[in-house]
Formats: sequence, structure tokens, C-alpha cells
Amino acid sequence: MSAPRVFVVENTLAKMAREPGGRNAEAAVKAAELRIDGVKDVSLASLIEKAEQLGVLAAEARASGESEAFGPVYDLSNAIYGVAGAFGLKGLAEAAFSLCDLTDHFRSGEEANWPAIDVHVDGIRLLATLGEKATAAGADSVLDGLRKVRARVMPAN
Amino acid sequence: MSLPFSKTERVNLSTAEVLLACGDPEGLNIMGEMFAGFGVHTPRRCLTMADAQTSVQERILNLMVVDSALADGEGYDFISWLRRSEITPNCYAPVILITGHTRPSQIFRGRDAGASFVVRKPVAPLIMMQRIIWLLNDQRKFVTSPGYCGPDRRVKALGPPVGSKGRRHDDLSAQVGAASTPNLEQDEIDALFKPRAVI
Repeated sequence: MSAPRVFVVENTLAKMAREPGGRNAEAAVKAAELRIDGVKDVSLASLIEKAEQLGVLAAEARASGESEAFGPVYDLSNAIYGVAGAFGLKGLAEAAFSLCDLTDHFRSGEEANWPAIDVHVDGIRLLATLGEKATAAGADSVLDGLRKVRARVMPAN
Repeated sequence: MSLPFSKTERVNLSTAEVLLACGDPEGLNIMGEMFAGFGVHTPRRCLTMADAQTSVQERILNLMVVDSALADGEGYDFISWLRRSEITPNCYAPVILITGHTRPSQIFRGRDAGASFVVRKPVAPLIMMQRIIWLLNDQRKFVTSPGYCGPDRRVKALGPPVGSKGRRHDDLSAQVGAASTPNLEQDEIDALFKPRAVI
């Protein structure tokens, strides 16, 4: 590439979005919320499947003994985090995020702590199965346990 | 909760070509529903980086929303490829990068790949609309250089980063020189704030 250049580009999105018609932003947000709510059931059902799949992937990673095998566990846990967060399942989202932290830590070369992985996978399966029925108190007790495990395995710097 | 934009702000995305890319089918579905609610007709849905690259080559896109996790790679790599692809005008199109779990090493990766905006999950429709409206008013210039291609990373016109000399020809020195003309008198300053009609 040649010398650095700084130049103006046309904002075509702005040009289109300012055309007459469309909808006001508040109504668009409400319509989007309604449409997302329409796929809630199927999305929550997918979380249960993903959580079960997580158990299978974790077992495969354990059997392979390779740090790269944590990749699929990380990716699936990250996907669970995304979907759970979209539907306000904070407990499940936090548990999945914590597993992402752990698997990322282990795939970077740290020695794997399998009991820590197992307890996270079990917690995620439980929270995914309960879905919206998970009470705040129930989710908190699961998360408290996971936080302690995570803190032991990955002490804060 | 107060809205982060005006209630009367109108947005017409019905003719906009939007690409949505996410490696997780459910995540992609949620994104698709969100943009359908915003009034976007048939956005291009891509699970893989290969699909997204094909779409970029096939049609003119006005907005891309890319998850950092794609089925066959990372959203960062797609954005980096796009910005350097020289496929105009798509290489200049606004790109919103959505991140889930982010490793410390990746925090600045989205920005440095050339994303217009990085949004962390969970992304509620309100947040996404706020970012889109911000992009509608985005007047940043585009930068191409050996080390970076994408919208100007200096979002505010505050000059070069603190402590650095500045690499651009129009970067001013942080040192303020001595005055070269006499100070204004107070009445001259007042006159600047109280304009009067001249008869």
C-alpha cells in the first residue's frame, strides 16, 4: 500500500435513512423488541441443546489432552453467553462468560483444571434447563460456587 | 428510562442493504429479527466469513453488523479483509462489530481492524438503534495506511493522543507559542459577545 491517505467518504447509510418514510426510532426499537420476543421460545430451547453439546465437547477436549481442543468449548460457551444475554438470563450468561475465561486461560497453555470445567458445564446445563424458571436465589447460589472456583483457578492479578 | 435519541427521530432503513454476520445460528436469528423490526428488508445473513466475503463482492452494502465469532473465523479478520479489499464502495461502509467474551488482547483489535463501532453483548435494540443513529451523523474521514485502514480512530477532534507528537501534517503542537499581536481590550471582547445592529 502506498503513502497514508485521509479522505472523505460518502455516508450512503445516512442518505438512505434520511429519505422520507421509514419509522420513528422509538417505534422501530419497540418493533425490534417484539420480533425478538417472538423467537424467545426457540432460542431458549436452543440453549438447552447447546448446554448438552457443551458437555460433549468438554469430554472430547479432556480425552484429546490438546490445548486446541478448548477452542470449540470456548466458542460454544461464547454463543451461550450471547443468546442468554439477549433474553436477560443473567445467571446463565455469567456462568457461560466464566467458562469462556477458564477455557481461554487453559488454551493459552495453562494446565487444565478439569473439576473447574466440569462444575461450570454442570452449572450451565442446570441454568439452561431452568431457563426463566431459575429463581434469582437459585441462580445466585450456583454463581457463587462458580465464582469461587474461578477465583481459585484464576486468581486476580 | 429516557431515550438516547429524539422521539421524533425518523430512520428509513427500508432500502438499505444490510449484511448481518454471526457464527451462531440463534445469534444470527436474533440479529435478523432485530433488523426486521428496524424496517430492514431481507438483510444478507451470513454464518461464515466466506459467505460474508461473497456478499461483499456481489452487492453494494450500506451497513454491516459483524459478530466477532464467525463459524469459520473471526469477525476481526473479516473487517480487516474488507477494509483492505479495495471493493468500493463496500470497503468504506460502516461496520458495527459485536463482541461477546473478549480476551484482553482483543480489546483494541476490533478498533484496529477498522470497525466503525464496537458494541459489547448483550446488545439490546435500543443500544443498536443508538449506534446506528450515531453512524448516520458520523463525519469521520477514512484512513488508509500500511498499518491501518478504516474510519479515523480519532472520534473527537482533539488532536493527536496525549504525549505523542502527532503524525499528520495538520496536527498542531501542544506547545502554545508567545502572542504575536497585542491582547484585545475588554470592550473589544464584549463587542464579540454583544453584536449590535449597524445603522
